[in-house]
Formats: sequence, structure tokens, C-alpha cells
Amino acid sequence: MKNDASVMNKLFEKLDDLKSIFLYSEKLIPVIQKLIDFMRNTIPLLENINQSITETTNKIPTATNQIDSVTSATEMATTEILDTVDKILSEIASARANVDNLINSQNGFLNEEIKEKLSLVLVSLDNINQHANNVTLSLQVQDITSQQLAAVNYLIQSVQARLSSLFQDLEDTNIGHMNKLPDKNVFNENARYQDTSQQQKEIDQIVTANNSPASQDEIDKLFLKK
Amino acid sequence: MNLKFLVVDDSVTMRRIVINSLSNLNFKNYVEASDGNEALIKLEENPDINFVITDWNMPGMTGLELVKAIRASEKFNHLAILMVTTRGLKEDIIEALKSGVNNYVLKPFTPQVLKEKIEQILNSKN
Repeated sequence: MKNDASVMNKLFEKLDDLKSIFLYSEKLIPVIQKLIDFMRNTIPLLENINQSITETTNKIPTATNQIDSVTSATEMATTEILDTVDKILSEIASARANVDNLINSQNGFLNEEIKEKLSLVLVSLDNINQHANNVTLSLQVQDITSQQLAAVNYLIQSVQARLSSLFQDLEDTNIGHMNKLPDKNVFNENARYQDTSQQQKEIDQIVTANNSPASQDEIDKLFLKK
Repeated sequence: MNLKFLVVDDSVTMRRIVINSLSNLNFKNYVEASDGNEALIKLEENPDINFVITDWNMPGMTGLELVKAIRASEKFNHLAILMVTTRGLKEDIIEALKSGVNNYVLKPFTPQVLKEKIEQILNSKN
């Protein structure tokens, strides 16, 4: 009899446990239902994201081509400006030679006022010459900008490569044309068009300090200073 | 000294700017190349070149690879080399120096800086 009572007690304990599970499940069911609803709603969203990423990935080659076109166009425009500046410099040189010849050949016949005016013309021509040379030097911006655009291009192509790889892993399909990444050495992502005189001084110090072959200690010190 | 320059840069604009600056400094003798590979061909074709001005970032053979190739060559390792580049990080400068450049100019440069560096190299060579 005692043994039967013990079995019955265990049975009631198990029934209590079962009751607890049912009670817990009753509370859990709405949560699971909500989770299922959430997942149902999320699927179209994920499909939209997937579609959007696919479209973006497919547009990347066009974007990189456009950046290349911009670089080519600015290089062409810069060449035209340089051609024009060269013509201006040539005209200035010619005008200067003419004025010089006039002063030298007519030296005895020119009055002081004309001589003075011609001298002023020469000064103006020299100034124009200097300004034209400065325009030429400012066009270094084209090379520096093209370096930055190449860096952006590299970044975009890296993103495309990663996305294509991700899609391949997920769906085992190759989405879009995966470009081979260009060599990183052909651009400088840190390129800036700015006054480099201070930085050039620092470079000069490094060059001076390294006229003799640099020891590893010296190189390590420079790296530590950064 | 009769100087003949080899100006190496993939950007036509930069080559013209460097050449214009050289002309203004009365250095009128030069040849051009658009990357390291073409530069090596020009060096073979023009044995009288004695000064190389090169960019670093170029497709094909880079400026740094060109410097290493020149320094490894018995025929050309005596050449003066000036690097003109946008790369201003210390490790870049150290790497260029270790590879054998004689001096280093940061873009955008001024003709004055270019002149100074050319003169410094020539003085150290004499």
C-alpha cells in the first residue's frame, strides 16, 4: 500500500509538471504566433533588400565606368587649358621680344615718357607670364583628384566583389559582373590638393636623416613618432 | 653639366607640368615615359639620360619598382632619381629612400622646391 501511495504521489507531481507546461505554453503560444507573424512580414522586406542589393551590385560597373569617364574628361580639359596657357606664354614671349627690339633699335629716338611706358609694359608682360605659369602649376589638382577618384573606384569595386561573393555563398549564383580589382599601387587614397610646404619640410628632415642607409632602429623610431 | 631628364608619370598633365617647370629652370633636354616599363625602354634608347624624375603611383610598373629596377641594373644604377608623388606618409618616404631615390618631392610642388631638390641631388653627386 505504501508503495502505491508513493507511485500516486509521483504521478501527481508529474501531472503538476504537465499542468505547468500547459500553462506556460498557453503564455508562449501568442509570443510564437507574433514571432511567426513578424517573420512573415520580414520575408517581403528581405526580398526587397535582396532585390535592391542585386540592382545596386549590377549598377556598380556603370558607376566605376562613369568615374573613369570623369577622369578622362578632366584630363582632356586640363590638356586643353595647358595648350591654351602654352599659347599665351608663347604670345607673351613674342610680345616681350618685340618690345625689347623696339627699345634697343629706337633707343636714341624714344623720349623718356615712351621708354617708361614700354618698361611698364615689360613688367606687365612678366607678371602675366608668372600668372600663366601659376595656372599651369595649379593644374596639378587634376592628377591629385584623379588619384582620389581612383581610390573611390577601388572602394566601390571592393564592395561589389564582397557583395558578389556574399551572393555566391548564399545562393551559389554569381550576380552581376565581378570585376578584377585594380592594383592598389596605382592610386593614393591619401592624395590631397593642399599647401605641402610644411609636409615637404618634414620630408626633407627624413631625407636628410636618411642620406646614409637607414638602420632598423632609426626606422623604428620614425614609426614610433607617428 | 649637360643634363638630360627622363620624366615618368602616367598623367599627361603632370608630365607637362614637370617639363614646363624644368624648361623654366633652363633644363630643356628631356624624354617622357608613362610608366616604369616604358621608362626602362627609354633609358635603353637614350644612354645620355642622367636624371630620372618619377611618380610613384602608376599602372603597370610603379615608380618604386622602377627605382628598384634602376638600382639593380649595373648599367643605370648611377642615375640620379627624384620621386615626385602624392604619397607623404613616413613609411612611404622611408621605403622610397631604402629603394634608392636620391630625393623626394610632394605634390603639389612649386618650381622652387623642384629646383632645390635637383640642385641638392646634383651637389651630392659632385
